[in-house]
Amino acid sequence: MSEHLHNALLIDYLRRELPPEDDALVLAHLEKCPACRREYEIEISLSESLRTAAAREELEFPSMIAARVWEEIRSARPSPLAQFVAFFRPAVAVPLVAAAAVAAFFFAMPLTGHESSPKINAAYYLEAHAALQAQNPLDERGPAAVQLIEVAAQDTSAPTELADDVNVGLAAPSAFDAVR
Amino acid sequence: MGQPTPEQTAFLERAMGQYGKATYNFAYRLTGNESDARDLTQEAFIRVFKAWRSFQPGTSFLSWIYRILTNLYRDELRRRKGRFQEELPEDNAPQEFAGQRPMAVTPIEDYVERQLSEPLSRALAQLSAEQRQVVVLADIEEYSYQEIAEIMGCSIGTVRSRLHRARALLRRLVERAQKPTS
Ligand SMILES: [Zn+2]
Repeated sequence: MSEHLHNALLIDYLRRELPPEDDALVLAHLEKCPACRREYEIEISLSESLRTAAAREELEFPSMIAARVWEEIRSARPSPLAQFVAFFRPAVAVPLVAAAAVAAFFFAMPLTGHESSPKINAAYYLEAHAALQAQNPLDERGPAAVQLIEVAAQDTSAPTELADDVNVGLAAPSAFDAVR
Repeated sequence: MGQPTPEQTAFLERAMGQYGKATYNFAYRLTGNESDARDLTQEAFIRVFKAWRSFQPGTSFLSWIYRILTNLYRDELRRRKGRFQEELPEDNAPQEFAGQRPMAVTPIEDYVERQLSEPLSRALAQLSAEQRQVVVLADIEEYSYQEIAEIMGCSIGTVRSRLHRARALLRRLVERAQKPTS
């Protein structure tokens, strides 16, 4: 290494990002070259100045941010699509099951001639449906609703939905073990 | 968003209590003004709240929220400018005139408002958004290149070259600012 060191190399050295062999070469050069040492000291002082300036300007966490975050969370309602799906989940699923049961009944016994039983079944399902509607997740005040939402939060749809929303690499921090 | 669970609420409470200040300062250094820093920090914590289950215990929360914040900042710059600094060649001439300003709508007032009068802070504000991010993460937050690459979603090589250019530009700007103008 007869040439002077490039600043890029000095910066990597300063950041301790060089592989050991390069690190040793830079160290050896700095020990015998005042010009590069001077340059390296300027790089060090730039880093120190940045840290000093940052420390001097350190701001407190404004309490209004926390207040606004909580406010936003409290005022947030499910999206219209989520509301639609939540509303129709019991309303559609239950009658569908009922209809399927009725269809299966007729398909399985086309010749028996009994017509009253399926209607009773359907009525039963509709009643069940009505009971479910009373626990509609849209009614956020009811304890039943809270339970439903808690269960919903535990199913896999919640994180998936959020992943798009958040637009972060969810596995990203895996390389960092220390909690800084 | 649905009704928060107690665990989710506790997670956010702890996150803001423990990391609110660091996150806010990071946002302030990226944006160069308090108003944008507040908005960014607020949005970042809302994202944290929504995605709290995806946080992996044992990993760095700060790295996670810095990453969220960096993405939000990039999106916001795109939204405001219609394009992003990255699309410009990175090593074009000093960017103090052509480059991305911090995202303050009224930067001048913000600089007067804050103590950014100091040459170095002013020079930092004149870097491109990405150059400023990499300098803040490397020299102020003291992350490794690998960590910065993960936070910024780019390669280590990109981190390295951005940092080299950013620091070279910072030095030029500071030296120029320190020279008597007459
Ligand atoms: Zn030398």
